[in-house]
Amino acid sequence: MPLTPETLTRHELNGLHVEVVDAANPDLVGIAGRTVVETMHTLMVDDGSRVRQVPKRGATFEFEIPRTDEAAGAAKASGTASKLRSDTTGGFDASQSDRLADSSSAASRSGNCEGVAYVTVDGAQLLSRPALRTETTGDSKWR
Amino acid sequence: MNIAEERIDRLHALAREAASDRDHERAREYVRLARRVAERNRCGLPKAFRRFTCDDCDAYLLPGVNARVRTRAGGHVVVRCDCGATKRYPY
Repeated sequence: MPLTPETLTRHELNGLHVEVVDAANPDLVGIAGRTVVETMHTLMVDDGSRVRQVPKRGATFEFEIPRTDEAAGAAKASGTASKLRSDTTGGFDASQSDRLADSSSAASRSGNCEGVAYVTVDGAQLLSRPALRTETTGDSKWR
Repeated sequence: MNIAEERIDRLHALAREAASDRDHERAREYVRLARRVAERNRCGLPKAFRRFTCDDCDAYLLPGVNARVRTRAGGHVVVRCDCGATKRYPY
């Protein structure tokens, strides 16, 4: 299963570009960079100059997913709704929402011509040991 | 390919990238996480991952950087990690 907005909370977060769009601690809002380490309660974000540690609880993250053909096909098949960022930042609920960047902003932000999807996730959904996140919704052989 | 296998693939690439930036501690984190994911989901690890990670110290091995590779008469290769652990593979 490819990395899509639906599978993001169960997929690998290390290496993805992330931005903190909302947090209980106002100093954390706006931290953007590459996720380098994940722990049970925090994400460590390398913002270029240093590595910032952001608690998952109380924060809202916006992950940047490179859109491959396979992921785009899966997103289309599952009927992923695309919304504008302003729509998603209005009211955060437990569900995820993603927006599709138009081609011009995708090119300017990621530097390639492939589109990028932005997925907004409530940090409380990511509260889990990093290795156990993959299996919590039940296609593990043991649960 | 399920999520666990794809996560292992991504972690493999991240570990190799961290090791080539000489950030061996971070590469170790990725290797340990990939091993844990494989263990929990009973899916095993790719052969390239098993051969180029150290069983003793979990380092991601880059020959010439933190690992030495020697061929031996009798048909095997010795891969030695800088921590001193060696592993022999037949060919």
